[in-house]
Amino acid sequence: MDMQLAPVPQKPSPQPSEPALGAAARVARQRRMRRFSGFAIAFATGLVCCWLFVLPVMVVGLSSVAEHWSGTILPTGVSLRWFERLGSDDWDAVAASLEVGFGVALSGTLLGLWIALSLEGRDRRGVGALIDTLAMMPNGLPSVVLGLAVLIAYHKRPLDLSGSAAIVVLVQVALVLPFCYRCCAAALRPELTILREAAASLGAAPARVLVRVVLPQLMPALRASMALGFALSLGELGATLTVYPPGFATVPIVVVGEVERGYYLPASALALILLACSLLALCLIAARIPKLGALKA
Amino acid sequence: MHKAPAQELLSPATTGAHAAAHTISLSPAVVARKRRRALLTSLNLAAILIVVLGPLIIYPLLRLLWLSVDGAHGLSLQAYQTFFSDPETRGVLGTTLMILGASAGAASILGVTLAALLFFKPFPGARLLTRFLELFVAFPSFLVAFTLIFLYGSQGSIGIALQQLFGLEAPPFNFLFGPGGVILAEVIFYTPFVVRPTLASFATLDMRLLEAARSLGAGLSMVALRVVLPIAWPGIAAGVILCFLMTLNEFGILLVLGSAHLVTLPVAIYSSATVDLDLPTAAAGAVVMLCMSLALYAVYRRLNRRG
Repeated sequence: MDMQLAPVPQKPSPQPSEPALGAAARVARQRRMRRFSGFAIAFATGLVCCWLFVLPVMVVGLSSVAEHWSGTILPTGVSLRWFERLGSDDWDAVAASLEVGFGVALSGTLLGLWIALSLEGRDRRGVGALIDTLAMMPNGLPSVVLGLAVLIAYHKRPLDLSGSAAIVVLVQVALVLPFCYRCCAAALRPELTILREAAASLGAAPARVLVRVVLPQLMPALRASMALGFALSLGELGATLTVYPPGFATVPIVVVGEVERGYYLPASALALILLACSLLALCLIAARIPKLGALKA
Repeated sequence: MHKAPAQELLSPATTGAHAAAHTISLSPAVVARKRRRALLTSLNLAAILIVVLGPLIIYPLLRLLWLSVDGAHGLSLQAYQTFFSDPETRGVLGTTLMILGASAGAASILGVTLAALLFFKPFPGARLLTRFLELFVAFPSFLVAFTLIFLYGSQGSIGIALQQLFGLEAPPFNFLFGPGGVILAEVIFYTPFVVRPTLASFATLDMRLLEAARSLGAGLSMVALRVVLPIAWPGIAAGVILCFLMTLNEFGILLVLGSAHLVTLPVAIYSSATVDLDLPTAAAGAVVMLCMSLALYAVYRRLNRRG
């Protein structure tokens, strides 16, 4: 790959004499060539990125308002009929997704906060390391495997959750827990510990320190954690599909079902609603869009 | 809450004695308060293990493991035999690993290349594009697979565009519902996961080093291989391992594009659990997959901690 760093300084001759002019022209031509190739590479990079990553996102929007889109380059006709045709089942799925997403985001954030606060300042050995590893583990687990494990554990007595939406919430909380925990743990910086110790030494009770000092400082992290938990829950497919009870469906389940039966355009309309909810929640909850990529790692 | 050394929890009794020896001159009230705090800390950690992580993670995974080896007469590997001897899932491990290698390998190469171009040859809009790639992570993977149907399906717009451009009789490709489509979708979805850590590790480079190398006469390839790569390597390696891990754990793309012609481990587990309703067999497949994922994950954690 071409990695043009700062151009190697060329020695300029202060007053070009006659024979030096040819050399100067050659240098100028080389420079022009290099600049041109730089432009070409930048242009190609931008084009490839748009083609690979921006195009798919645009397709969801385009296809959901398309009258028809098959066998043509661009959709033919604009219509909102796919949105108008969404039945009560579809809207139930949207409502279910939003409810589950909210529940998952809230409980994931609370549990993540609890774990992060309990492990704070503890060196990562012994029980602390065990809890840290276990809380981060769903990050490395295939969602289908975790879904299957939860289904096996809770599909019959002593605790039978297989008929209720609680099992969906449970499995999704397990899946988002690492992100929420990471979010809160990253925000518990050493400066905050000093503030807390100062407050405690001035005689504030632990509960007061938590409410007046720690939580206000953690607010941005908690909002980011809520937003991330919500967005991840809305898009979760593998585990939800494995455990969902009869008569209950989230938007991804409905969308995948429609895609498998070949109803592409209605699926697009529903998917667009899902994306809009997800983006709206991210903006509302997080105020500014959090750096999702950094948290997912 | 106070800072508690880790040993305190391991052996509250000895630590208590230890603390008492230290605070011999302190009043009994202070000693009692310290002891109570240590006890509260241990109780808190135990509560997390029992109330949160137990029901969410530990208990389900143990039940999964148990079901996969639970025979009619004690332990047995019957479920594993059933899973891997099923004619439909024969070679499932090989297929899964082939898809994993092809898509994660391509995504890693593409991701590192893109990150290098975005970092060393920034163009107007590169920042916006980087931001977009970060948000792309919140886009559900099955939707990526779904949108590809509109673009590369047999009636998709890119195929039709090529057909009209070159005056072909039929759209030039029909690869989407099979290995080709799955690999394409996974490359598109997982490349951003490599771009981000690679960009982050490039950002830690000291540009003066590169300029020094250049001014001492090193060519571009030499700077890339001998200066940039050794410094940025830990970040790049972590990104690549993460990409392999998430590609291995992928499900939505495989379900949408691959469930018809391509049997991979997650789809096989899913269909034995929900279509055949054979939980022990599904559990056997899941345990195999769990081992693969956790091994990769352990490597990732280790790399990340060092980096």
